[in-house]
Formats: sequence, structure tokens, C-alpha cells
Amino acid sequence: MIRYLGSWILAGLILSGVGLSAQEDMSLIPAGSYTPFIKGITEEVEVEGFLLDKYAVTNADFLEFVKANPDWSPENVKSLFADSGYLTHWPVNYLNDKDLESNMEPVVNVSWFAANAYCKWKGKRLPTLHEWEYAALALPKNDSDSAALTRINSDWYSRKTAVHAKVGSTYENQYGVWDMYGLVWEWVDNFNTVISNEDSRNNEDAPQGLFCGSASLNASDASDYVAFIRFAYRGSLKANYTTRKMGFRCAKTIK
Amino acid sequence: MKTKNFFYIIILLLAVSGYSCTEQQPERTIVDAEQEVKGHVRAVLTDAPQVPPRITNKSNTKVIVELEVIEKQMRLADGVEYTFWTFGGQVPGKFIRVRQGDLVEFHLHNHPDNMLPHNIDLHAVTGPGGGAEASLIAPGKSAQFSFRALNQGLYVYHCATAPVGMHIANGMYGLILVEPLEGLPPVDHEFYVMQGEFYTSGSYGEKGHQDFDMQKAIDEHPDYVVMNGAVGASSGENAMMVQVGETVRLFMGNGGPNLVSSFHAIGEIFDKVYVEGGSLINHDVQTTLIPAGGSAIVEFKCEVPGTLHLVDHSIFRAFNKGALAQIKVVGDENHNVYTGKEKEEVYLPEGSAIQTISQNKTQKSTKPIAEKSFEERMEAGESLYKQNCMACHMDHGNGIAGTFPPLVNSDFLQARDDKGIGIILNGLQGEITVKGTNYNNIMPAVSLSDDQVASILTYIHNKFENDGGLVKAADVDSWRKQQ
Repeated sequence: MIRYLGSWILAGLILSGVGLSAQEDMSLIPAGSYTPFIKGITEEVEVEGFLLDKYAVTNADFLEFVKANPDWSPENVKSLFADSGYLTHWPVNYLNDKDLESNMEPVVNVSWFAANAYCKWKGKRLPTLHEWEYAALALPKNDSDSAALTRINSDWYSRKTAVHAKVGSTYENQYGVWDMYGLVWEWVDNFNTVISNEDSRNNEDAPQGLFCGSASLNASDASDYVAFIRFAYRGSLKANYTTRKMGFRCAKTIK
Repeated sequence: MKTKNFFYIIILLLAVSGYSCTEQQPERTIVDAEQEVKGHVRAVLTDAPQVPPRITNKSNTKVIVELEVIEKQMRLADGVEYTFWTFGGQVPGKFIRVRQGDLVEFHLHNHPDNMLPHNIDLHAVTGPGGGAEASLIAPGKSAQFSFRALNQGLYVYHCATAPVGMHIANGMYGLILVEPLEGLPPVDHEFYVMQGEFYTSGSYGEKGHQDFDMQKAIDEHPDYVVMNGAVGASSGENAMMVQVGETVRLFMGNGGPNLVSSFHAIGEIFDKVYVEGGSLINHDVQTTLIPAGGSAIVEFKCEVPGTLHLVDHSIFRAFNKGALAQIKVVGDENHNVYTGKEKEEVYLPEGSAIQTISQNKTQKSTKPIAEKSFEERMEAGESLYKQNCMACHMDHGNGIAGTFPPLVNSDFLQARDDKGIGIILNGLQGEITVKGTNYNNIMPAVSLSDDQVASILTYIHNKFENDGGLVKAADVDSWRKQQ
């Protein structure tokens, strides 16, 4: 607790130096540590303090990016960087679409490469896997029920929450960050580090896969099945993939 | 036709060099994967209880299988919805039929609207993960891999994406049959039945959309154990139909995820069981054990008319959790095989001294619920009747003569001042006369709320040509208070 407090004060000093107003759209995630879901990393992982977007990037945000960076338009994007699903939910005439200009739903059908480029354009970066997971562990504001997050996730998996919802429509966590669970899947910088190689189950000593037998060996907490699902999801991705339920938000290092 | 088949079999036996066979069963063979594969076909896939046609191709063929993963909300029981994860849109998944020696080119598609990544582990595959590694795909993606069907048998396939148990518990399983080289002997009917259990946030029969409950799954305490994906999926109006004298082959699987099935057909003896879906054949079997992630092929001839109940003979699963499917056999009686009811005393195997009926054990609802309208009572009553009463009093309220009294136009019911409330709340025991027939049996008390009792009775009084009227929850409440 004292450590957290220290981090807050430190971060506060730093922030006041750079000017808080510049970061209104981001929340400070104080330094700390957490035990990742995956075994093999047996110890707690330290996460330094960082800034995280309060909201997932919206269609309106991403339209601005595409306008400023025509290389990332649906017509021009290289298949190496985004598959054929890239921004397919946008209207054909997206450049002149007033609805899209103000669309506050999270952008989906974007590849890791596109998400990465967007964050760079904003002077930010994608959060690391540990940063994202750590920030997402925070309970909803005014909620002390530790089962709340599992409930939000399982409602989402069983499609009880709206398919098309705006950012800021699910819940705000104790860092002031919205919709970490229950709105869209989100890209992280190193999304595929945990199970980067599907063939690694063949290695006798180090089964890495998250399915079948090795799943039971690798999970640090078998009951945390919602995290299990998230890691499996990331494991099914490649950096040029786009899916209808995956978006992203950006992070920033505190300097 | 039969001589033609026989002719083919002879040709086949001659054609397969190095293939020996005994009089009873062909010697077990694993196909040489170096054998040539000729031509290709697209696999015919079917939903339970249907089975794809027998394979007539007598050479090794490339079989192309296209299977789509679809996450969708469907009925689990009357008034109960569940978000199933499916192979092909139904639970169990599509039935796949190939022949030993075939090269299977497998295409797995993950629908773009799905939430989750999926893959497939086919137990018929000789190879790492049964194809799981090769087929892990994000929504909106397809994967392709090929395998040689080396061993004959009836195999389970299932999703093996983390968390594996949850994917199976949500319905991701099905069967693939690898027919032996010589083909399975012809029968009149082939059906596909698969058992699986569901772990829901609410208890059995609780209305509305139910979530998956991980804790119940870990504890292995399912609320539903069902045949073919839902309560009543293959019974009542959806029962499988055959004629007297016909032979039936059941491809029976158990998706689990946890329970082992004590598979039994009430009113039949399995003439033949391919134990665990393999090549060992057992005869004259009453109940065959089907492990989770395993199967059995059973065969029998339907000698007499009636309804066969396919159950998990771990019997509370059948009568209280839904593990029941039906085959209706129609045709002429054969009294040399079975006489039907002969006029005799009813014998209660367990005896009344053992099965006691305690007074006022039923629970009283504490939450006040608004009185329902007549229409609401009839609607709620129908599904409650199916869940609680139909097993004995039957679908149309006719009961079973001599054993379970009819509810249709029941003089016994209409003569009661309590409209039947007391029967449901306390049960009924001993000799009664209904429409001129004597019954001496036991009905246990049924644990229901005032509201539920009122709906069931309103349904019975109106649906089954009785005296009509509306039974209110308040009537039930005041009856309880009088006791």
C-alpha cells in the first residue's frame, strides 16, 4: 500500500511536470506487481507505472488516422499488414461519412500493424501484455466484489451485452479506465509471446500450448477461465489478422 | 439389393490383398498409409439423429469435410435458452462418415461473428492433438489439415481450445465414423445420438437465458444431462420412428465433459454392441458404459410396437435432468414376444414401507409473486407439466393404464375439493379408482412453489378436458395454511 502511494506521489510529480492537461484522455496506472495467469513465469511480475487510454480507439478516431495516413486506408493497405477483413465494417464512401466521423463505437477489424501505427502516430504505443492484464485486474469503481470481473466477462462471452456499444458504456475501473472487459478484445504489443509457437507441444519438456493436456500444466489458476480464454484468443492471432470483435487502445511510458 | 451388396462384399474381400478374415469378425487391420488414394468426394454431413448414407466407394478416397463453428443461442429446455458453441449449428456437431483408408481433407471455419477462437481434436486422427494444433483459428479464419483414417471405429471429436472443458461444456462435440474396409452390415435404420451435460447458472428448469457455471463444471454437478443437445431434442414429437421387425443401429456418443454414461434402452436388449466404438463385438447387452469422450455402436431388432426410451441408466439423469431420447416402434403386436398388460395385481418392487411420503415437505415460496392471468398460467403450466408430470402421466395426459392414472376427463380429479393441490403438495399413495380402473401406486410429493402448482393445475384442468377454471397461487397458499 505504501508502495502504491509512493508510486502515485512520484507519478504525480512527474505528471505535473509534463502538464496533466495533455493527458486528459489517459489514466495513470501506478506501478505494482501481479501474478500472470501463465505458469512458467512463477514469480510476480513487476509493472512500472504507465499511462493508458481511458477508452478504446473509436471509429471516429481511426478515421482521422486514415485520413492523415492514406497508406492505412482500406484501399491501400498491404495484405502483409492487414488481411481482407480490414475495416470492412466501414461504408465504401467512408471519407465523406458524417456518421463515421462521430462514431463512438470502438474500431474493430484492425490488425496489430494498424493498431501499432495508430499509436505511434499519436505519440503513444500499444500496451504490453503485462501492462494490459495488470490494468485490467482493477475492479469496477465502487465495487468490492472480486467476482465482478468474471461476471462481466462471462456475460460478454454468452452475448448478454450489446454487440454494438459505444466506448464508455460498460464499466469504469478503479484507475478510471473504461471497458477493459466486455466491449471488444484488445491488441497488446506482444500479444503472441505466451504461446508464440503452436508446435511447441511437441517439445517434451516445455509444453507451451493452451489446449488439451498442456493447458492443465500451464495455467496458474485453472478457475480463472476468463483469463484462459483471453490468452487462447491471443494465441489464435497473427499480426495481420483482423476480427469483428477486436480493437485496441494505446499506452504511454512515463518519462 | 441384398444379393447385390453381398456380391460387392465378396468382390471387396477378393480385392483387398493380404486381408484375412475369420468366420465371425474380420481380423483387425490398420490401413497402410502408403496405399493409393483415388478421386475425391465431398462428405455428406448430418445433424442428429440423422446419419449420412453408407459408404459405397470401395477404394481409398480423398474425403473433403467442411465444418463451420457457430456460436448461437438456442433452446436447452422449454423456456430455457443457452449460448451454445457448435460444430455446424447444432449440438451435437455434424456426423462425419468416412471409410478406413480414406484421406480426409479437413476444413474448419470459424464464423466471423463468433467471439472466440476454436479448433478441433478428432479422436480418429493419428497425429499431434488429433488436429488441434493445426486447426486453431481466430473468428473469421479457416484452417485446413489432412489425415489418413488408419483405424476403423466410431470416434468423438471436440474442440480443444483453452479452456477445453468450457468449450466442450458449451456443446462442442460430435462423432466421426470410420467404417471398416468391408463396410458395416446393412440395417434398416441408423441413428445418431449423443449425450452431454450442461452446467447452468440457474437450476434445472429455471427460465430465461442461462450462463455457463464454471464452478459447477469443476464440481461435476450438471443441471442438465441431455441427449442430442436439449431436453426433448429426440423424444415426443421428435422421436425416431421405426417399424416392427426392423433393425436399428445407433451411433451413440458421449461428449461429457465429465460424466460417464450408463447407456440403456428401456424395453430393448442390444443384440450387438461394438464396445467403446471399436472392433470388439459383444452380444446380448442390457447397459453399455460410454466414457466421456467415447462412443459405442449398438444394434437391435425391434420385435414389438411401443416406445423405447434411450436413457443414461444413472437414472436420475434421465428423469430429472433430461437424459432421455425415444424410438417409437409402430406395427402389429407379437404376443409371442410380449403380451402387453395382462390383468394382474400391480406389484411395487420397492414396497410402500421403503418409499415413504412425508407430509408437508414441499417448499413454500417466500417471495410474493403476482397472480398470473389464465393465458400465462396455461403457458407456464405446459412447460411445468412437461418437466414434472409428463414422464408418468404422458404427453397427452392419458397416463399408462393400470399403472399411472389418466388426467384426461378425470372423475377422480374433478371430485376433489382442493382441485388437486393436495396431491401435488403431499403426493398420493394407495388405492384409487379413476374412470373405472383401479390404481395402487405412489406419486411422490413434488417440490414446487405456489405459483408453479397453480399453473400446472390450471393447465391440467383445462388442457385435459376437465372442469376448466383458473387455479390461483392464493388457493395453493390457503390450502397450505389449512394443513
